[in-house]
Amino acid sequence: MPKLFFREALARAMAEEMEREPRVILLGQDIAAHGGSYAETRGLFERFGPSRVRNTPVAEAVTVGMAAGAAAAGLRPLVFITYLDFLLLGLDALVNYAAKLRFKSAGQLSAPMVIKATAGAKGQGPTHAQSIESWLMNVPGLTVLSPSTAGDAYGLLKSALRAPGPVVFIDHKKLFPRGGVVPDHEELIPVGSAAVRREGRHLTLVAHSYMSVLALQAAELLSAEGIEADVIDLRSLWPIDWDTLANSARHTGHVLSIEEGQVTCGVGAELAFGLRERIAALRVARLGARRVPVAASPVLEAFTIPDVPAIVRAAQRLMTDTAGSESALT
Amino acid sequence: MIPMELGEDVEVRLLQWSKAEGQPVGIGDALLEFETDKALVLVSAAQAGTLRRCFYAEGEWMKPGDVVAWLSDGPDEPLPAQADAPTDDLLVTFDIT
Repeated sequence: MPKLFFREALARAMAEEMEREPRVILLGQDIAAHGGSYAETRGLFERFGPSRVRNTPVAEAVTVGMAAGAAAAGLRPLVFITYLDFLLLGLDALVNYAAKLRFKSAGQLSAPMVIKATAGAKGQGPTHAQSIESWLMNVPGLTVLSPSTAGDAYGLLKSALRAPGPVVFIDHKKLFPRGGVVPDHEELIPVGSAAVRREGRHLTLVAHSYMSVLALQAAELLSAEGIEADVIDLRSLWPIDWDTLANSARHTGHVLSIEEGQVTCGVGAELAFGLRERIAALRVARLGARRVPVAASPVLEAFTIPDVPAIVRAAQRLMTDTAGSESALT
Repeated sequence: MIPMELGEDVEVRLLQWSKAEGQPVGIGDALLEFETDKALVLVSAAQAGTLRRCFYAEGEWMKPGDVVAWLSDGPDEPLPAQADAPTDDLLVTFDIT
């Protein structure tokens, strides 16, 4: 199986789906001749032409609204939002129109569109580096995907481009410089399926996006201390793969959720509650960002969001402390 | 060596060798080209010598800190026994497109 850059996996998924389905179009800033902010659309403008690969102005509200309308009228737009922070400008069209269209029209209309947005801290500061994906999990009608590997990005983006309603596909700045194995044949990853990246028996680490990469590294350090962790990569934030999570949690009895965003009403809050509804005897903890904006200074940025040592410490505490769950970086 | 300045958790792909093992290298000669997630990087020699060993093949992936090749002043200079033996960094230039 070939190893590709993350952007190449995305480009391959888009090219295959555009070849298969003429209604798939791409809308976004600098995606045409320039080839995308992350070079992820390189070659697609030349191959599919200006009517299917369209540059849009710096006006996310307009772009998302246009995509919602185009989707309702029969197209399958894929909208590029350079940083997830900028999706805030397009939330009205996404939440109030696209996500609700099937419900409001009793299934007569739908908005099969995909928003691809890049989250995460890598030196961009308070308004270009947020991980606010948990906000979107709250919206009925939205599917929220967040891969951590090139192979999953390929398989999930393909599924997103065939989904019946709006999908937000969230990647991470730190995933782009990495290579990853991508199947050499066409392969879709179903929406709502988590991946078990590592099997242990004492503890379940659950994460998504770049935090899955760090969770795996933390699991190796914990293993050296005799703590063997399951590592579950959510891949799909909504719908949540409760079966995979509950199977692991039942087995280990301890769940630590790790996310780069805020813990308040975050992914971990939802996971902890959902798992406790399913399994009574369970110790849960969550780890996420400190309650401050993402810092622009690299030193403060690192201080703000979880890293491998913080995950290890939170896991050790969960395994030894009888007082309750820890919810902040310490 | 792939420069550490590229950062942590970064991989690059070797695209093409411009010289083969055993060939003489002059100042300014292109040695190889590699690719990051965003850029093409042409590596050229900033000192003369002989290209003695290429540790990666075209299409292979490398990380910052990986030693890519050995260059010696003369064609017959004895080489270290181990690939990871400490060596002086080769003087090269990086042209980024």
